Amino acid sequence: MSGPGEVRLLVLGWNFRTAAEAVRERVAFTAEEVRDGLARLVGRGVVSEGVIVSTCHRSEIYGLADERGAEEALTRFVSEWRGLTAQELAGAGFHRIGADAARHLFRVAAGLDSMALGESEVLGQVRRALALAREAGATRSVLHRLFEWAVAAGKRVRAETEIGMHPLSIPAIGFELASKVFGELPERTILVLGAGETAALFARHATEAGVSDLRIANRTPERARDLAARVGGRAVAWETLGEQIAGADVVVGTTASPAPVVRRSDVEAAMRQRRGRPIFFLDLAVPRDIEEEAADVYNVFRHGVNDLEEVALENRRRRAREIPEAEAILEEELGKFLAWFGNLSIVPTVTDLRRRFEVARDAELARAPEADRERLRAFAEALSARLLHEPLRRLKAEDDPARKLDRADAIRHLFDLDGLGEK
Amino acid sequence: MDWQLLGWLAVALYLAAEILSIASLRKPRFPALAPYALAGGIVLQFIDLHARARALGSVPYRTLSGSMSLFGWMLAVTCLVLLLKHRERSIGPFLIPFVVIFSVAGVLIPFRPTPPRPETSGALFALHVTLAILGYAAFALSFVLSLLYLVQSRQIRRAQTGVLFARLPALEAIGGMNRTAVSIGLVSLLVSTLLGAAWAERVWNSLGDAKLAWAIFTLAVYGLLLWMDRRGWKGQRVALLSILGFGLVIFSYTFVNLYLSRAHTFR
Repeated sequence: MSGPGEVRLLVLGWNFRTAAEAVRERVAFTAEEVRDGLARLVGRGVVSEGVIVSTCHRSEIYGLADERGAEEALTRFVSEWRGLTAQELAGAGFHRIGADAARHLFRVAAGLDSMALGESEVLGQVRRALALAREAGATRSVLHRLFEWAVAAGKRVRAETEIGMHPLSIPAIGFELASKVFGELPERTILVLGAGETAALFARHATEAGVSDLRIANRTPERARDLAARVGGRAVAWETLGEQIAGADVVVGTTASPAPVVRRSDVEAAMRQRRGRPIFFLDLAVPRDIEEEAADVYNVFRHGVNDLEEVALENRRRRAREIPEAEAILEEELGKFLAWFGNLSIVPTVTDLRRRFEVARDAELARAPEADRERLRAFAEALSARLLHEPLRRLKAEDDPARKLDRADAIRHLFDLDGLGEK
Repeated sequence: MDWQLLGWLAVALYLAAEILSIASLRKPRFPALAPYALAGGIVLQFIDLHARARALGSVPYRTLSGSMSLFGWMLAVTCLVLLLKHRERSIGPFLIPFVVIFSVAGVLIPFRPTPPRPETSGALFALHVTLAILGYAAFALSFVLSLLYLVQSRQIRRAQTGVLFARLPALEAIGGMNRTAVSIGLVSLLVSTLLGAAWAERVWNSLGDAKLAWAIFTLAVYGLLLWMDRRGWKGQRVALLSILGFGLVIFSYTFVNLYLSRAHTFR
């Protein structure tokens, strides 16, 4: 299809869909390893540009390389690096080339390839991957542009669709419901009962959301203090639970207690102290921490883990409904990127540069006196041929594919070749 | 006619306010321009109402067209107060449509000036009518807010997190706006009732009108509502009482006016 010297994008990856955790652990890279690996990849000429995206759910190596044998060379490199056989790597991973590789990155950045559909952390991870690659000196114009484009497309998808809107995690859903009672939650008091894993998960979510008054009550006070220190909350005495409930707006139950720790009578007493201000119970404990009858007290809201799981399911469906629209946006952005990338190869650049000269020549000739035009035309043609000869020869003779594209990019920019068609 | 043009311009600004508030609901970073459009509409509609009042020689309450327009204007004023006081942009789209409906009715229904009645001229009477309509407008908004409160409360309890759930503000915010609306209504109706009583005393030397009794009853219900809200019964019960209160207002506006009151038949 294309002769030697044509370059293309490729990606080699292992993610939560394709690879068992045992393999994924071996190809998970630290920032230091990423910089080091990229420097060697580019240094040895396996790829001429490279970026490694490494998160808990995926490791992906993006490269720009000569068409022939790049995947094999890359696989060999990784297998030596991580001590896995080529078969192990190939069996557990996937690879894409050309437009498919670019499309894959766009989908990753938009959260379409994530375990939690539409999550937005991945956008930051993609951005960090590009920053690391720049530090390692492994990116030039193409991958740089590809990654920036992917991030921009990911942002557009989030702004124009609801793919990142409906929360999926239980703490986030609980928070959303509570915030529809109280408004902004950061100024509110949140009381967590228990100090186990669920408590930690919720407490961390609360502090990340900006809650400053987070209280933790646990039967064993040391564990409450321990968790409070870890997440930035305050441990309160279990013996003062009644008071604590009266002083809290949101109460989260997460204890392992076999019987409810908050009874209807406790809630009634608390509501008297609260002078009727609403209270929101989030019961994440199994069996439940808050007696079900407590929800019958006036202005008391109570949700159990089942309610929230149903919302999570519904929200996942809501996000999934946005996939076609998200994909349409990605295809549009991808189309623009591929058009830019396609123009970077030598042939269109040479053609466009010649046309740029022709346009300038014709504009000048139009102003010349009629009688002189033929003679001037011949002269102008000879001059532009001579001026273009050496730059084009050098451009074509460049061996390093990345440098070749860099130069094509520079020419396109300096002569405004992308604006040529518009005039 | 010049007041028709002004009326339509005001309606156009109210519509713009509705569109702008929907836009700022959809895009949180969209600048909050709706209050400006609303304020612009209020100014234009005021000029229109003023022209009508001059033609009538009194506050335009006696013609259907005029009273619709006046009511719409009062709704707009109360709406603006709520939007500015509570900085809650998500409520605008639910309230402004009512402003639009009444203002449109005020322009569409033909306006025929009626001959002035001598006893209804003067500042005392004008203030009585104006404040009464302001009070009714505030109670009408309180009614809408209370319905929204009940809807949102039900959605939270059932964990229905759909579009309406996402768009409607938090219960506390709706409750706070309701409190403001009821306070405006209560003060307006109270002053209006006192002025009306003073006027009746002066013109007829008598206070004996069913409308007065009914107004006192309505005032008591809304007063109880505010008291409950302060005493910690806030929430659903306050919303229900506000709905009941508006029922009384409607009853007073229709049944009492037509059959019981001698001064409020508007004939």
